[in-house]
Amino acid sequence: MTPRVLRPTANALLIVLISVTIMFPLAWMAIAGFKGRTEVLRSPFQFFPDMWSFDNYSRILQDPEFMRAMGITFVGALIFTALSLAVNSLAAYAFARLEFRGKRFWWVYCITPMFIPMMAIMLTSFMVVTKLNMLNTLAVLIIPGVASGAQMFFIRQFYLGFPVAVEEAAMIDGASRWQIFLRLFLPQSAAPFVVMGIASYLAYWNAYVWPVLTITDPNLTQIMQFLGTFRSTRGNDWGMLMAGSTLASVPTIFLLLIFQRFIVNGVRISGIK
Amino acid sequence: MTPTVAQKVPVRSQPPGKAKRRRTVVAPHRRDNRTAYLMIAPMVILLGIFVIWPLIYSVYLSTFEISFYQEPVFVGLDFYRYVLESPEFWHSIVIGLYYALLTVPTTIVMALLLASFIKSLSRRAAAFMKTTVYLPAVVSTVVASVLFVFIYQDEGVGNWLLGMLSVGPVNWLNDPHVALPAIAVPGIWLGFGVTTLILLAGLLDIPENYYEQAQLDGAGPFQRMFYITIPLLKNVLLYLFVTGFTLAIQMFDLPLIMTGGGPVEATNTPNLYIFNSFRDLTPYATSFSLTASLLLFVVIGAISVVVFRLIRSDKAVDG
Repeated sequence: MTPRVLRPTANALLIVLISVTIMFPLAWMAIAGFKGRTEVLRSPFQFFPDMWSFDNYSRILQDPEFMRAMGITFVGALIFTALSLAVNSLAAYAFARLEFRGKRFWWVYCITPMFIPMMAIMLTSFMVVTKLNMLNTLAVLIIPGVASGAQMFFIRQFYLGFPVAVEEAAMIDGASRWQIFLRLFLPQSAAPFVVMGIASYLAYWNAYVWPVLTITDPNLTQIMQFLGTFRSTRGNDWGMLMAGSTLASVPTIFLLLIFQRFIVNGVRISGIK
Repeated sequence: MTPTVAQKVPVRSQPPGKAKRRRTVVAPHRRDNRTAYLMIAPMVILLGIFVIWPLIYSVYLSTFEISFYQEPVFVGLDFYRYVLESPEFWHSIVIGLYYALLTVPTTIVMALLLASFIKSLSRRAAAFMKTTVYLPAVVSTVVASVLFVFIYQDEGVGNWLLGMLSVGPVNWLNDPHVALPAIAVPGIWLGFGVTTLILLAGLLDIPENYYEQAQLDGAGPFQRMFYITIPLLKNVLLYLFVTGFTLAIQMFDLPLIMTGGGPVEATNTPNLYIFNSFRDLTPYATSFSLTASLLLFVVIGAISVVVFRLIRSDKAVDG
């Protein structure tokens, strides 16, 4: 065997095969944006449009509401991501490393929300944010979801694997717990923060039901709410929906391209001691 | 303290083939009650206001019969009895479990294979793949559902591919045996990216010399996978199984848009069942669906506790 030649070729083939499989539906979405209102739905299935029409894309790009929704959702998503990483990683550190009274109780308390179906608390959460006068503010979109049991759990799993010896050395040097967290743990958290940060960002970006419930102010309309209008009030305009969804995914893809590089060798994540 | 120092700490001398690891002893110090409480305070308070309190309030409300036309009437645990006696509720739980069984292990196994593959690639190719695998996640569930409805049309891509293998055509979304697996495909497609990235990050963290030594000892790829990779990924796998399961059993949008719960209830997941009973607009719809979702919470919680126990039992994950 001549692995020197075979391997790269096999790898290249695999890469092409995997990416085509993964990207086919995405390409279909982007191309469906060039189709007319009824053409998208047509059976039998057709990949390319009969006639390429830029109508949908140009109509959306010229719609000031779309740009505003993109902007406000993007800002909200960034604030949301930053806040949730801060709140959850701090708690994760405490649960991974500190011994304190009632730790078991608080652990269960923080982890339970992972298992609560959205439907079980939708109505009552809505009552709470109404009481707090949070309707139609950016805060109602951001604050209620910041604390996340799942995210805290993930970051804690990562911190568990962090070598204790380094920490002990720092403590002997007189570092406080806060200093250890800020100087030792945070700088090494890039990989888990990127993985969880992207997840948070996407959760915010793709949220639909909660914004519909709590936001009626057109200045705060979220991107999924905006895209949702192609399905209801304006009738099902699939071509527009596909074009809009394609455009809406652009900022996310950019963020992915920027941040993927942090998931690399040498970052501790899985808990090897 | 730099990462280089941190990397020297792992117990290097251990034979890599044996998965046994020394338990971390949490650094011995006095209890740090004050610091710890300050650190968990933001999370505890936020969860208290926006999750725990609404949950308690929901439990309280579930003991009332709520209707739009009259004052709430206290009914005690009546609604719990109605839900527990309803065969549709239990059927939906079974569907939810079946869906989780179809998606979670498949996703994790495929993601692990793909992550291993990406790890072996050159820097540039890896960067490309890391972005590519995540792309489906940027598509909203609504768009994904619509997309796959087209793929599953009678003359859609699905049957066209089967035709090339001279099988089919299959009535994807109208055959009760096929419908749920057919819905699992977009489910896997949507959740696959994040799982791969998480596992990749975990894989990259395993010291390379473990594999080198194992190879010297004559361990094949499968032995390396089962004696090094999987045991050392236990922390990450526990996370993936628990969150994957809780998300899967709550799947809602895909069946709502693709099948509406049919054919013959074959895709009626718990949340869809709850949503539909809410939409019924029978006089007690609100109370009934509220109670059903609280009971779903109990089911999910109970199963998750079992998963925690199972994976934890051999002390691989510990705090």
